[in-house]
Amino acid sequence: MHETNKEWLPGFDKKFAELTHQMVKDLEKCLQCGKCTGQCPAAKLSSYNPREIIRDLRMGNVDKVISSHELWLCFFCSGCYAVCPRDINFPFAVSMLRYAALAQGYGWEEVKEIKDPYAQDYYNTGLSVNVNERNLGVKKEIAKNSGTDGRIETVRRKMGLPPKRKISQRAMSEIRFIADATGMTDLFKEIDKKVAKEKSWNYGSPADLVKVKKGPNQKFIDIEDEEKERIS
Amino acid sequence: MARQQVLEKTKVSDRIFLFQPCVGSNKYPGLITSATEFFRKLGIELVTSDDQTCCGGFLTFTNVAQPTSTMPAVARNIAVAEEMGLDILTLCNGCHTFLTEFSHFMNDRPPVKNVVNVILSMIGREYKGSQDIYHSLEIIYKLKEKIRKNVTRSLSGMRFATHYGCHYLNGFKKTALDDPHMPTIMEELIEAMGGEIAEYGENRTCCGTGLTQIIINKETLSLPHTKMKLDNLNAAEPDAVVVVCPYCLAQIDRMQQKLNYRGSGDYKVPVIHLVQLVGLALGVDVVKLGFDAHAISFKNFLRKFESVQAKAEVVNG
Ligand code: SF4
Ligand code: SF4
Repeated sequence: MHETNKEWLPGFDKKFAELTHQMVKDLEKCLQCGKCTGQCPAAKLSSYNPREIIRDLRMGNVDKVISSHELWLCFFCSGCYAVCPRDINFPFAVSMLRYAALAQGYGWEEVKEIKDPYAQDYYNTGLSVNVNERNLGVKKEIAKNSGTDGRIETVRRKMGLPPKRKISQRAMSEIRFIADATGMTDLFKEIDKKVAKEKSWNYGSPADLVKVKKGPNQKFIDIEDEEKERIS
Repeated sequence: MARQQVLEKTKVSDRIFLFQPCVGSNKYPGLITSATEFFRKLGIELVTSDDQTCCGGFLTFTNVAQPTSTMPAVARNIAVAEEMGLDILTLCNGCHTFLTEFSHFMNDRPPVKNVVNVILSMIGREYKGSQDIYHSLEIIYKLKEKIRKNVTRSLSGMRFATHYGCHYLNGFKKTALDDPHMPTIMEELIEAMGGEIAEYGENRTCCGTGLTQIIINKETLSLPHTKMKLDNLNAAEPDAVVVVCPYCLAQIDRMQQKLNYRGSGDYKVPVIHLVQLVGLALGVDVVKLGFDAHAISFKNFLRKFESVQAKAEVVNG
């Protein structure tokens, strides 16, 4: 990220509050000490730099941050908050900035990748994680370890549990009501529509890696297994 | 907050609402059975409800649903426990974070709470903010001495590495039970049950799930990070690694399988949730601990554990 110099914005936090649903305060207090970046796992592996992002925001380069690839690299580990002498809860800021990015048309592909397995399951079953195992490699290991067919339903039965966790009819209708009434369902639909239409912002996904690495010794075939399972 | 203050605030009732995590039900069901069984042995009943769904907070921090949508969803889940008059016990760092953060947010801002309750009133519920929300570490640590007295299968002779995960200690550095940089509560608990500690340098680093990184940047961020952590962990030669979050469990367990499959190493450290470990020491039936659902086999672990038990029996006559 290249930084352009602008003046240090006065009253930044007040301005910023609207952007972040008032969930993030205190960015104004940042000392630029860099402790956050020093222990950040994403910074270790990429060009990501939380201190620099805060500096950029404070310099008024909000659009630059919002349109950046780096915004989507945070692990949400809160390690930065743990070491920050100013108690700045930076991952909260990242989450809220991502909403701001979506509003400007960035990041929809990332969100789509998360939405498909988790949000769908949430709306259909009340739980964000499905009982079906998408990774066939894991399923095989579970089968071997447990002496079953490797399905969690079977393992649950063996443990004396019903094959699936029960979610009441009432709970399902309640969470769907909340989702519909508050715009959650609309956002899901918008994500589908947006990503299907414009594929503008693609910087590589696991699926691409599969294509690249395909060769005589197909090391990454397990991802394809996952894909197959997802489709079936 | 000092540890003593947190412990004083922690109230352990004889009936507690068990907030069931998604991963802990649909991938690792042993978490729920282990917790239920060993708490019963300690005279505490864990109550569940079919009205409880996914906490809902997860969708916010992955940006697929606005906080204005998930705030009522989280409040609804808390209301289910409130209606029963029970405090909440979470087994997942994520559930704990979202329930706690959102309830603080609502409690501190009456107008927000009111809006949430307008929505909840349409489904016949109300969020009051009357019950406490606990992380499993808080309750289990508070019961440490009781656990020590009730150990029927000592963990002595077994070496454990710990992994606290990020969201409890880091995210709650002001209110958590322990220090985010050099925590010891899990080690103390393991030692109270007779186990030994395998120390390693990367203890406090993230498991690599990174909330969304396992999905959106799996190859460039999540997997390399997990591999780095695993290599460091393996050098300490633990018999198992103990976690307090089902997401950490899933990441460390499943990514070992993935790396092995790709020929990037030979990883075979079993990953065990603290509630499964306490269950093991307090004599819960091994089938109920749910090791069958794990990708990394517990065969060697259990074989060693059994032989240690047999030796102890000979010594004790
Ligand atoms: S650790 Fe805190 S004060 Fe220091 S640079 Fe990072 S955010 Fe700013
Ligand atoms: S929460 Fe994000 S910015 Fe902070 S240390 Fe973790 S990865 Fe880095």
